[in-house]
Amino acid sequence: MFRSFDISASALTLNKLRMDVIAQNIANAQTTRTETGEPYRRKVVVVREEQNIKPFGQYLRESMGGFSGGGVKAVRIQGDPTPFKRVYDPGHPDADEDGYVLMPNVEILREMVDMISATRSYEANVTAFNASKNMAMKALEIGR
Amino acid sequence: MNRLFSNMGILEKALDAAWLRNEVIAHNIANADTPGYKKYKVVFEEELKSAIEASALKGKKTRPKHLDIGATSIDQVSPRIVRTGGTQMREDGNNVDMDEEMTNLAKNSIMYNALVQKIAGEFRKLKAVINEGRR
Repeated sequence: MFRSFDISASALTLNKLRMDVIAQNIANAQTTRTETGEPYRRKVVVVREEQNIKPFGQYLRESMGGFSGGGVKAVRIQGDPTPFKRVYDPGHPDADEDGYVLMPNVEILREMVDMISATRSYEANVTAFNASKNMAMKALEIGR
Repeated sequence: MNRLFSNMGILEKALDAAWLRNEVIAHNIANADTPGYKKYKVVFEEELKSAIEASALKGKKTRPKHLDIGATSIDQVSPRIVRTGGTQMREDGNNVDMDEEMTNLAKNSIMYNALVQKIAGEFRKLKAVINEGRR
């Protein structure tokens, strides 16, 4: 009965997490030195579809016409492997002997686009959640 | 189901199907950005329609081993969930169309509300019948 609430909630949580990661990327767009010694590496959230039950049960249930979906799940937060930008800035404390500095592979433009995308997804899921809620409330009116 | 609630069975079924469809749409919207995700769809109205159409023609069974001729009765219709492959419009293999899902969401909740009203109306009718007899 309340599964559709949980499904929408899982997506809301995921989009919040996305926003957190994007905020961290933007905040660290100029960070040239991290604990590992290299510049900040852009982070991305890896997601997958969530199933409520184990794979075998899922296939069995789907072949019998049941529904086993449980929303969406963040699997891990992963570093973006694209190379760092190399910028000529001899006055920078992290510059090498040729005067080049490795800058994070964060692109503000891209982060902004991702941010809008996450916001819109969040809104869509809020709409879905409200639809479920209104339907559940409507069902209570049957016996009235 | 007795005669008093004869209409109710089919309405109940439709209501359950609408709720299931709501779950499926929520799941699709939640996974709108999941790479490789394929959307689910609930097939119910078509099955119901074919059951209603076919209920006119039904083979008579004189032995228990006879096969059913004509479609299943309306009681046996249940919503079916299908996973759609194809119709992929994105690089990452995801085929969720947000516009379609939001439209279906709106359609489905209006359908649900209509069904709830209809069921409530049935009960109101019964109540009227019972109360009128008391006067």
